[in-house]
Amino acid sequence: MTGRPEKAITVSELRRTYQTSKGIFRKKKEIVEAVKGISFDVEFGELFGLVGPNGAGKTTTIKILTTLLTPTSGNARVLGFDIARDVVEIRRRIGIIFGGERGLYYRVSGRENLRYFADLYGVPLAKRDKRINELLDMVGLSERADSKVESYSRGMKQRLHIAKGLVNDPELIFMDEPTIGLDPQAARDTRAMIKQLVEKEKTILLTTHYMFEADELCHRIGVISNGEIAALDTPSGLKRFVKDISVIEVEAFGIVDSDIASLRQRPEVKSVSSNLEGERQTVRIQTPKGSEFIPQVTKILSGAKIFDIRTKEPTLEDAYLRLVS
Amino acid sequence: MSLLHFFADPQWIIPNIIAPFIFTAVALVLFRNVSGSVALYAVLGGGMMGMWGNTLYGSGFALAFDRWNGTIEYVLATPSRLVWIIAGRSASNAVLGLVNALAILAVVMIGYGPLLAVADPILFLVALILTLASLSTLGVVLCSAFLLSRSASVMTNGLEFPIYVASGSMFPIALLPFWSHPLSLSLGPTWGIDAMRYAADSTYKGLGFGYWIDVSVVMISTIVYLAIGFWLFIVAEKKVRDDATLVEY
Repeated sequence: MTGRPEKAITVSELRRTYQTSKGIFRKKKEIVEAVKGISFDVEFGELFGLVGPNGAGKTTTIKILTTLLTPTSGNARVLGFDIARDVVEIRRRIGIIFGGERGLYYRVSGRENLRYFADLYGVPLAKRDKRINELLDMVGLSERADSKVESYSRGMKQRLHIAKGLVNDPELIFMDEPTIGLDPQAARDTRAMIKQLVEKEKTILLTTHYMFEADELCHRIGVISNGEIAALDTPSGLKRFVKDISVIEVEAFGIVDSDIASLRQRPEVKSVSSNLEGERQTVRIQTPKGSEFIPQVTKILSGAKIFDIRTKEPTLEDAYLRLVS
Repeated sequence: MSLLHFFADPQWIIPNIIAPFIFTAVALVLFRNVSGSVALYAVLGGGMMGMWGNTLYGSGFALAFDRWNGTIEYVLATPSRLVWIIAGRSASNAVLGLVNALAILAVVMIGYGPLLAVADPILFLVALILTLASLSTLGVVLCSAFLLSRSASVMTNGLEFPIYVASGSMFPIALLPFWSHPLSLSLGPTWGIDAMRYAADSTYKGLGFGYWIDVSVVMISTIVYLAIGFWLFIVAEKKVRDDATLVEY
């Protein structure tokens, strides 16, 4: 390959199936189609988000693009290199940051983890330790760099994951749910680091479950549902999908499943989502009727104790719920 | 990294020092009334146990550990070929096994007196290094199966003693059933151990081919194991990427 390609990532009709089996003695094979012919491009310097429910195909897509999985059909180019043919070239130039507790060597220090991966990426010895010190500074782990990883908090482990993903100074970074399981402060710190990377003109492909995070960080978002791209636009573009509706948000205690079902059955209701935090439930009802529909809502939820009910402007999460429901 | 992790767990002393030492001591007690180079079999046997055990656990368990730990995807996603990473781990573990073997030798010498006199230390050292290389590459071959399998620990346990016995470490392979001889002779370490005995004991008859034939076979087998290991790793890596079985555990 000569010169810089036009796009950082080009995905065309990418498809991936998995074969699973049921039973022990008389195994029954089953084909699951995780990614069903998706296509999208990512520009250089862009922070591109892939959002979707569990099992939608986000992680499968990332694993194909990072060469950890082969596609069943279709093709993709990463930094101009073919994912099937140019595996080593791609691996040399990308960084991978997955969320979660795993993926680190716990019984050795953070610095030793970084040294090991720097060696695997072939970072020259003359540059290695300097780069590691810079990364440890960047993620705020310099003081604990020589402590064993098993003594790190969840947030510190995630910061080490970020440093590890940058150890080869990649042009393109894949992040799979980097803030999952983090407390609000640690998640905010992680998002700040992601913004710093964008300022340094890194290209990032990010998956997340948190719509406010995608809204805050991403230049463009692909909503993936059931293995297909349901929509692809800027965050404000995606919000236009729900410009015809208002959201009634109810904070209450004692809302039961049959109440939610009753709300969903109403023709005025486009979608209903429910979230439980402690004992307090938050229900979001999308409806074109706006505040006119509040009396019907209070009637349906008469068995519950309502603390607050109000209409709100639709958010990216509302657009997402409309797209994936 | 595998060595750092290895030493971080103090239990390493049990399989790597205590078990081979007990094995060596038991062999010395069992063979104490038998004439000939008994100490040679006992000490080399104990040493071989340490070296092979380390190599096998080092390559097999290290990969299984990466799988459990969730680091295997990160390791595979680097531009370094997995086969070289595993070869490095195997070699470092085999060298560690050598240190164990020397520790066993020292302990045996202290406990039982100077039982072992090496006739030609240089040739002995050459044979020892080649045997280590052979063990490391054999570890690489077996490790390709560990990449595909979710039960590396079962395979590791199952492979420890067969190789140890088949290579004639503790007793001559002539004592084994005839049908097992082709397996024994196909193992590089069998020839390496035989070469070490030639170098240690000028009266040793062994397989009957002499020191230089033995070391030649060890070298050829090392190259063959490496080539097979390299090919198997390419096949295994492609298979785990096709079947999405890398992170199953």
